[in-house]
Amino acid sequence: MRPWSLLLVLLVALPLVAGVATLPPHDAPDAPIHTQVGARYLERGVAETGMKNMVTAVLLNYRGFDTFIEVVVIFTALAAVLALPRGSAPLPRGSRPPPTGTGTIPEDASARRPREEEDPEVASDVPVSPVVRFVVRLLAPFMAMFALAMLFRGHITPGGGFQAAAVLAAVFIALGLVLGRNRAAQLVPVDWRPWLQGVAPLAFALVAWVGWRLTGAFLGYPIHDHTVQEAMGFVLEIAIAVGGGVILVRLFLEMEA
Amino acid sequence: MTGPWAEALPWVITLPLVGAALTPAVAARRPRVAGYWAWGVLLVTAVLASGLVVELTTGGPFAYDLGGWAAPYGIELRFDHFSAWVLPLTLLFVVIVPFSWRYLDHAMPDERRPAFYALMLLNAGGMIGFCVTGDFFNLFVFTEVVALSSYALVAVGGRGLAAFAALKYLFLGAVSSLLMLFATAQLFVLTGSLNMAEVSLRLGEVGGGTAVMVAFAAFAVSFMVKTAMFPVHVWLPDAHAIAPSPVSAVLSGLVVKVGVVGMLRVYQVYFGAEVLELGAFNQALVWLGAVSIVMGAFFAIFQDDIKLMLAYSTISNVGYIVLGLGLASPYAVIGASVHVFNHALIKVTLFLAAGAIIHQTGFRTLSDLRGIARSMPQTSAAMAIGAVSIVGLPPTAGFVCKWYIALGAFEANQAPFGFALVFGALFIFIYYIRMLNAFYFQKPVHEAVAQAREVPWSMRAPIVLLAALCLILGVLGGIPLNFVEPAVLDLLPFWGP
Amino acid sequence: MLLFGLDLDYVAVVVLFCVGLYMLVAKSNLLKKLLGLNVMETAVFAFIVTAGMVEGGDPPIMVAGTSAPYASPIPHAMVLTGIVVAVSVTAVALALIVQIHAHFGTIEIDELKELP
Repeated sequence: MRPWSLLLVLLVALPLVAGVATLPPHDAPDAPIHTQVGARYLERGVAETGMKNMVTAVLLNYRGFDTFIEVVVIFTALAAVLALPRGSAPLPRGSRPPPTGTGTIPEDASARRPREEEDPEVASDVPVSPVVRFVVRLLAPFMAMFALAMLFRGHITPGGGFQAAAVLAAVFIALGLVLGRNRAAQLVPVDWRPWLQGVAPLAFALVAWVGWRLTGAFLGYPIHDHTVQEAMGFVLEIAIAVGGGVILVRLFLEMEA
Repeated sequence: MTGPWAEALPWVITLPLVGAALTPAVAARRPRVAGYWAWGVLLVTAVLASGLVVELTTGGPFAYDLGGWAAPYGIELRFDHFSAWVLPLTLLFVVIVPFSWRYLDHAMPDERRPAFYALMLLNAGGMIGFCVTGDFFNLFVFTEVVALSSYALVAVGGRGLAAFAALKYLFLGAVSSLLMLFATAQLFVLTGSLNMAEVSLRLGEVGGGTAVMVAFAAFAVSFMVKTAMFPVHVWLPDAHAIAPSPVSAVLSGLVVKVGVVGMLRVYQVYFGAEVLELGAFNQALVWLGAVSIVMGAFFAIFQDDIKLMLAYSTISNVGYIVLGLGLASPYAVIGASVHVFNHALIKVTLFLAAGAIIHQTGFRTLSDLRGIARSMPQTSAAMAIGAVSIVGLPPTAGFVCKWYIALGAFEANQAPFGFALVFGALFIFIYYIRMLNAFYFQKPVHEAVAQAREVPWSMRAPIVLLAALCLILGVLGGIPLNFVEPAVLDLLPFWGP
Repeated sequence: MLLFGLDLDYVAVVVLFCVGLYMLVAKSNLLKKLLGLNVMETAVFAFIVTAGMVEGGDPPIMVAGTSAPYASPIPHAMVLTGIVVAVSVTAVALALIVQIHAHFGTIEIDELKELP
């Protein structure tokens, strides 16, 4: 136990406890959280949004802008991982003057791993038993089916775009672990990658623009036209699932140790 | 009634973010296109931002309900005088990006450029969103966009050390974001709303209390970390010094100010409700600000690496801003608010000029860069102008705000802190004399320094432009001051002693 | 649950947060620090979701089997977004740790500090 760390933690704990101790008790039905904004969502949500799952209604409709920025955040994570140097050779450091020409310095030329597409099919990086391999391959289609079910029924049961993305990505990553990273990489064609990665923010912008044309408000849904509302919601859910899933899979693929 | 430009409010945020999402696709075949694409997107965003500021000056602050849902049932965007910061922010990005086109030739291979420019656009879009949102949870998510892109941008150029500096920044930043989320959740539990204006109203009904104070404290600590105030400044020097120079310019000039804008937003909410007595908090800010000023300047003196010196100078200047806010008198707060802008301009000038010198010679330390002024006269002149500005000598931009803050200190009967300000300036002055002496009056010790040529025009034009602006704004200092004055005076009755 | 006037659920959240904070500051291995950060994030999400619960409440989905009172939907949306943010932060942190390991060969703070 490190004493200074304990002290710091205690110093932080006290104000936090004080901060939560005086909050209104959370189970009471008359707490502000239930009587203010939330109450209206529950009362009028189905009529105004055409969705039965109020959480999805909040995510896509009432607070859709937050979800837009959320998909931007996960995209940022991928951009971050892609922007970092790869390979394992140290860069030349120190005060060596760079050449004053315009050529680029291939910094990791000396220890660069071949890119995934050029590599012949190799066995998985981690030794796995045949039992694991068989079970994963057997279960993969069922997992994918579950993900799709969550996606398409997300407006009437718990579920939705990002949940589906997470399960789909899990399927691909599990397959990647047992079949080898290169096989997994082939599942996302290289040419499509830049577009698929960005599909979620782009879809949001597109739907927002459509909403603008239809209702005059950015990301506005036409209140009385349930068909259009459902269509817009579906487009967003699918975009989140595909975009999120591709980003998660690429995060797995790009992190070479 | 609001004019047509009010409709542009959501688009000014969406444009850079969508531009970022498109950057890898656009630049898939020719990675260098990413830099030009990013510049184009930022130019259009700057046009939108100008329209918004025009709307603000002619019609006053305005709001936008996203999705057509009236606040607080939807997310509301709000453009007020503090949001006007998005215009200089976007314009500074427009100047920094061309500098990076050639600078990155030596920092990274072409294939990583699309990701880099995507991160720059995300950083810009995130900051713009941060400044115009009227919803607490939205604020949190935008903070994360800015934070994540910043962490990655610190580490793009180098290897282990850069990654380590970025990771330190990440850990501190993530904890501070969590505190912000916690405080948001507390306010949500207390008031049932996430909309800032609504929370402010309901807080008045809820009254004060421990939970309200703890939420305020959590916000304050969170923004302190983001602005790199003493004592949670430790992540800044390494991060800003190790990052590639265009990134250092963005981080020191712009990202660090996000914490200040956030604090101002929290002030607005709490003051509307009048539930807190701020005397002790303000005094703490004054002390911490003064320590930051003196400590930042003091450490800067001992640095040989010019980028580390500039990083410590950022800590010192943030101290000025915090000191001004804590003094809570009209002069001080106006001076602090304008210093947010002036320091951004000066720091970007300095980091770009330093970057140009490092790019051409490969050296980063004062001892190695002796005599550079002979071979790179324009860049050195820009560096000199930036140095004079940051010390605060007239007629440069830095002078006006520091003068105001000092006046504010006397106005608030806290004269000793006015002297702290002067001490800080004196220390920085010493270092800059050292630097200018080394650059101008000593003989070069390295071949590369003596033979260095000036940077290409895409890098030189931004530097020259920015240096000129430092001088112009010194002369025309009144304009930003008059702009900020009404917003500050609105806030002050609740805030002052 | 109330105990001596303190809402136990909230206190449990604070305890969890502090456990995570301790892991973040006291552990020397970078991965463990990252896990501590994740525990802290989970604690804050637990706080948000707990706050939205109601005595005897049903999930906020308007189908045949559920009836008032409903749990508030806003905390659920907040936490969903929060989880995505936490995943993103973890991903970037892991990429940085991979970088550090590739360059220095270690991810222990104690050893990293020894290096010149």
